[in-house]
Order: sequence, then C-alpha cells, then structure tokens
Amino acid sequence: MSVDFLHPGEGAAIDSDVPALELRGIGKRFPGVVALDNVDFTLEPGKIHALMGENGAGKSTLIKIMAGVYGKDAGTMRMRGREVDIRSPRDSLKEGIKVVFQEIALISEFTVAENIFLEGYPTGKAGSIDWKKIRTDSAALFNRIGFNVDPAARTGSLPVSQQQMVEIARALAHEARVVVMDEPTSSLTPNEVSLLFTVIRRLAALGIAVVYVSHKLDEVFEIADTVTVLRDGRHISTRPIGEHSNDTLIQDMIGRRIDNLFPRKRGVPGSKVALSVENLSTAKKLNDVSFEARAGEVLGFFGLMGAGRTELAKAIVGYDPITSGTITVDGHRLAPHDTRTGVKLGIGLLTEDRKSEGLMGELPVYQNASLASLGAFARLGFVDKAKEHKAVQNYVDRFRIKTPSLFQQVKNLSGGNQQKVLISRWLMRGLKVIVVDEPTRGIDVGAKSEIFALIDRLAGEGLAVVMMTSEMPELLGLADRIAVMCEGSLTAIMSREDATQEKILNAAIG
Amino acid sequence: MSELTHAPAQKRFVGGRFLGGSQLVLGFILAVLCITISIAAPQFYSEANIIAILRQCALVLIVASGMTMLIITAEVDLSVGASLAFVGCIGMAVLNSTHSLPLGMLAALAFAGGVGLFNGLVVTRLRVNSLIATIGTMMMLQGGVYLFTREAVQNHNQLASFTDLGAGYVGAVPVPVILAALIFVVAYVTLRFTTLGRYLYAVGANERAVRLSGLRSERLKLFAFVVTGLCVGVAGMILSSLMNAGQPTAGRGFELTVIAAVILGGTSLLGGRGSLFGTLLGVLVLKVIDNGIIILGWNQDLQMVVPGIVIILATYLDIIRNKANVR
Repeated sequence: MSVDFLHPGEGAAIDSDVPALELRGIGKRFPGVVALDNVDFTLEPGKIHALMGENGAGKSTLIKIMAGVYGKDAGTMRMRGREVDIRSPRDSLKEGIKVVFQEIALISEFTVAENIFLEGYPTGKAGSIDWKKIRTDSAALFNRIGFNVDPAARTGSLPVSQQQMVEIARALAHEARVVVMDEPTSSLTPNEVSLLFTVIRRLAALGIAVVYVSHKLDEVFEIADTVTVLRDGRHISTRPIGEHSNDTLIQDMIGRRIDNLFPRKRGVPGSKVALSVENLSTAKKLNDVSFEARAGEVLGFFGLMGAGRTELAKAIVGYDPITSGTITVDGHRLAPHDTRTGVKLGIGLLTEDRKSEGLMGELPVYQNASLASLGAFARLGFVDKAKEHKAVQNYVDRFRIKTPSLFQQVKNLSGGNQQKVLISRWLMRGLKVIVVDEPTRGIDVGAKSEIFALIDRLAGEGLAVVMMTSEMPELLGLADRIAVMCEGSLTAIMSREDATQEKILNAAIG
Repeated sequence: MSELTHAPAQKRFVGGRFLGGSQLVLGFILAVLCITISIAAPQFYSEANIIAILRQCALVLIVASGMTMLIITAEVDLSVGASLAFVGCIGMAVLNSTHSLPLGMLAALAFAGGVGLFNGLVVTRLRVNSLIATIGTMMMLQGGVYLFTREAVQNHNQLASFTDLGAGYVGAVPVPVILAALIFVVAYVTLRFTTLGRYLYAVGANERAVRLSGLRSERLKLFAFVVTGLCVGVAGMILSSLMNAGQPTAGRGFELTVIAAVILGGTSLLGGRGSLFGTLLGVLVLKVIDNGIIILGWNQDLQMVVPGIVIILATYLDIIRNKANVR
C-alpha cells in the first residue's frame, strides 16, 4: 500500500516534524452554546495523543468536526501542512482521517471483509465483485495490525472488541494518517483492553497519528504520549504525559483541585446485620453465594467482566428470579421473590444501566425522583403535588443536583446529576439496604467525588451499602469489606485492612 | 438558585402541558380548518351541524380516551374496531332476550372488558408484542362475530332507554356526547392528578425502572388494556343504538381512526408522553375534516385521504417545532 507523501503545488518534502493534522483556532457554536472556542490541536505522526475532558468539554464536538459530521464555524485544518476543507464524513475519510466512534458503525449483517471494503469493493472482469481479493486483502490488513479476525465472519456475531479491530482495519484500508478512537474501552474486558493497546501501539509504529479520547486516567497514563485537555469548549493544556500526575490532570479537567477523591466522614460500622444472603443460586450465573452486610458499612464486590456482580445485584433485590437460597433484609425474608416485596422490606438497586433501567428520560426530574415514594405524597390516590415538589426540591438542594428546574426532562441532565436523582429516588423511599452497581459509570471525574461522598454519607446514615464495581480505586477507597467474585461464585471476603490489589486480583481470577 | 428558577419554570410547564407541544400545532390546524370551511360553507357553524360533529366525535373520543392511556404505557390495541362490532351484536342479542338495558350494558362491558383482559394477558404474560397480539385478536373477533351471527342482530326489544343511548338528548346535548364527556373527564383527571396516572406514564417511559421501584408494571399495563376494552363496550352499545341493530360489519377501520386521533394529539407510540387534551383536539380535527368534506360536497372517498395527509403533516410540523425548541 503506497502512500503519496508529496502534494503537488506545495513543494515541501514532508518529514516527521510536519504535523499529521493541525487544527488552529477551531470554533463551533450551537444555538445558545459555544461548544468550541478557539481550540488548537496538533497531531504528530506516530504519536498517541490523548484528548481528555469532562462531559460537555467539547471532545465529541472536536472529533466530530475532524470526522466531517459537523462543520466548523471558525479556524483552519491542515493535513500534513496542506489546508483542507472537510465538509462531510466522506471528505474526512478521503483526507485520511478515520474516527472509530463508540457506537460502532458497521453493518452487522455483512461479513467482516465486506465491511472493510464497504466504500469501494475491488472488482474483477466485467465489473463483478472480486470476493477472493476482498478476503485476501482483509487478511493482509489484519496481519499488519497483528490481530486476527476471520474475514468471513458475520460482523454482528463478533464481540465489540473485535468489531473495533474491523474498524481499525478499515482505517488501514483507507490509508488513514489519523485514527481517532472515541472512548474505545468503555465496553471491553481487561484482556481486550490490553490487546487493543497493543494494536494501537502498532498503528503508531506504522506512522499513524492516533487520537485517544477517554476520561479514564489510568489508561491515558498507560498509552498516551501527549495529553490535551479541554474544558468548557476551551483548550486548557497540551503536555507530554510525563509532565502530568493524576492530580494535575484532574485539576486541568475540572478546573479545581480535588484533595481527596474518597473523603471518609462516616464512623465505624455497627454490628447489626441488615442484609443476609444464604446459598443463593440462579439459573444462569450465580452459584451458592452467601454473605452478610451490616448497617452502616460499605461492602464492595469486585470481579472481572462476567463474574456475576450485576446478576447478584439484580437477584438480591428481587428483580431477577433465583433457583435456590434465601435473602433476608433486616430480619424479614424476601418472599415472594419480587421487587415489590424487596422495596417494602427496604432493599433497592441503583442500576449500572441508568438509561434503560433507571431513568425515565422523557419525564421531568421531579417525577423521576418521586417514582418509588409517590404513594407517600398521595391522598385517596390523588398526588399532592406541592408536597411532592417540596420533598424533591429538598433533595435537589441537599445533593446539589444541577438542573434548571424540577420540570427539566431528566435526559438533559449530566450523568452525575442523573445519578443523584436516582439516589434521591431511593432515599425518598427510605431504604435499609442499597445495592449500587457501578455507581460512577459514565460520570465525570468531578462528579465522581460527589457520588463517592454521597455513598459515604448513605453508610453514615446507617444504610448497608452493597457496591458492585470493576474500578479498583473505587473499591479500595470506599469499601469497609471487600468481596470478590469469579464466574458466579464468591471467592473471597476480606476486610479493607487486609486487602491488597494482588490479593483481590488473584481471587478475581479464581 | 433553584428557588429563583423554580417559579417561571413551573409557569412555563403548566402552560406547556396544556397548550404547548403538539397541541399548539393542532389547535392551529383546527382553527384554520374551521375558518376555511365556514368561509366556503357558512352552514358549518349552524347549531345542527355542530351537534352533528360532536355526536360523531363522541364514539371516537370514548375509545380514544382508553387508547390514550394504553399508548402512554407504550402498548396499543388494534382489536378495538372488531371488538366494537362484536359488542354491538352481543349487546343487542342480550337486550332482545332479557329486555333489560342494565343487563345488556353489563354483557357488552363484560365482553369488551374480557377482550381487553385477554389482550393484556397475552401481552404481559406471554410477552407477545401488543401490535401482533391485538392483530391476532382482531382477526379472531372479525371471524368470531360471524360464528355468532351471520347477519345484523335486529332490534326486537324496542326499549326507549336503549334508543336514547344513541339518539337521545339531555337538553340540547346528545346523550353520546354526555357519555363521552364523562369518560373523557374521568380519564383526564386520572392521568393528570392521580398516582395511577403517574404510574401509567412511568411504565411507558421505562418499564424496568418502574419494576425496580417495586411497582407491578404488568398490572398497570393490564389495567390500561381492560380500560380500553370497557370503553369499547360503551361505544359498541351506543353504535348499535344509533344503527338500531348489531352490525357484524360495523367498526371496520375504526381502530385506525382512534389511533390516528391519539397520535395526532401528540401521544408518543413509544410511551411515556402524551395527553388526553391532545387526543380531544385530534378527534376534533379528524371529525371536522370529515364533516367539512360532506358540507363542501366533495367526493367522500377523500374522508380517508385527507386525514392521512393531515397526520403526516401534523407529525412533521411537530418534528420541526421540537427541533426549533432544542436549538
């Protein structure tokens, strides 16, 4: 695959000092919002450049401008020194920019090979499609990135991690000079992440400039050469990763210092057992799980992808059916096994999947908050709205939920504020045990510390908190005791003092 | 800060609930229609014609009230037309043999409510998609009614109270209009002011969230199916009274008119969004068009064509308005 390194009419030889892509003074406004304001962003060939920022910082807008999804209002774009005008995704691809979005844009019914050559199938005699060439070419592409996917496989049948590889192979097929990865690890297992990193480093070694969009600090420290931070649509800093520490990076992203991500204000948990689970099994995953959680403690559950944490969370609140075992909440057995009984006894789930299991996106904030406790605001079946609004407003103030009003549709709030609304839903109901599943998924760094503080406060107020998490820092920072799962079974329970990362990981591997 | 923003937001919202959103577009369409038709044909505004329009609205509005609740829970019932015809035949047969309006009504409500219950159970227990389930029910009812009677069940009871159900008046207002108004008000109050109404919206907006909150989402949907059925029961009896017979062929396409009115009124087929006030406007728009075509002496086949155009147009205007709001 030859790449034309010279562009007629410019007369300058391109060496590695010339940026692969240079954005200068990029501006973009949407009615009422300045999404990007005079942003510079320069990509060196062969380097991995992390683009960081909180939700709403302008990351997505910037990469969408690079991808040709949005047009820019101001600024210039230069590919290897030559000014380009990108007006559509097609232009962007032609100029050698390939963006791998979070929502993968492949046709799931087509084979891998068909997807790779989607924009232009090689043809043989008489214009018929040369399938053989398609298959051999795609195999060659996978070879170059050092990753093997069967070119004849139906794309939809592959896991997300492999679909990403197909996208990357597509980038190579288009001779891309710039590859943008948008939050690529959000649905990958640790193993898949390390594979992806290997492939990304390969791309860099091929001289491609890689943009790595993420808000996961540990990943960025592992893979990036350079970090650019955006905040509120402005360029804040661009520095080699070596000049950053966790603290400086967070400070750049949120504009203030967080002294302690895990503030502990609660006291020592009592000895009263709030939740007792004995010999719990489900048809699909869980196998003889037993544990207790005490009032006032945070019991953290760790496990790798597929260990069964979410399944456990859904089973103990009565949402998913169980095949055997007993669940006792505050001395009362959870029977019949359904959420109605669960909520009555005082156990509820803060779901990991806010959008499809938690939020009623179209409905206003106040209705989302009061869903579980609406009966308390009603007389003879009629809702006393004044009373309801007052109660919700109380939580909005206490938790500092940022919303223009109680009547805002909850889908318009940020992830952190949505999470606070859902926590309010449970607190308004009054619980004894709250099960929180990945409480900070999709939430900004700044808002994370607030959620941590809230969890600490819940335990401080005497709730038993059962926390499912795949984030080691979260686990070590918040939990009083740590339980580890592997393939549906509980493999270890240890106190925070006895826990080390190694011990936990060993138990998680089984 | 929240105190400051609270008050104006509330004002905007209440206004928005009542005459905002798609209702504004719809109200505008209705006004334009009324003005245009009355310019072309002044008799449009005669008392007799207005009463006629209201009477025609009544049947649709009764069923659309239940259907609005059902669609808000993100389900739909396509069997209402077929059920309407069957109910009329059964109601008339029971009236003929018992000579009792209460027993006839009861039979009609029991049958139609039973159909709703059946639909609801198939959807919530067997988890069959409601579109498919109720098409199945529709076919069963369309065939079943002929097993029950091959021809129209004639009125052999001559009960005055039954005739009044469709053709009677209280003062200047037709009885069906009064019944429709009653059902509409009850449904409106339920949806807007009660916990039940709030749960119906909630289950349509996110059924899993409702279940996780300890509520029985299946029952809520079942309730909406049964209410829709009961509304069909009332409408079926009114229709057979109007036609003075139980007609197995009645009600063809009725389900489409009802659903069209509900959707025209801004209720989302995806659930969680919608209002009965919008449905009322939707019914009025469709029936004013019907009436206008007759008054203007146009080809009556246009009675299907024009509403089709209006639905697409109204939905498109709604999309434009939504976009304008977002920007």
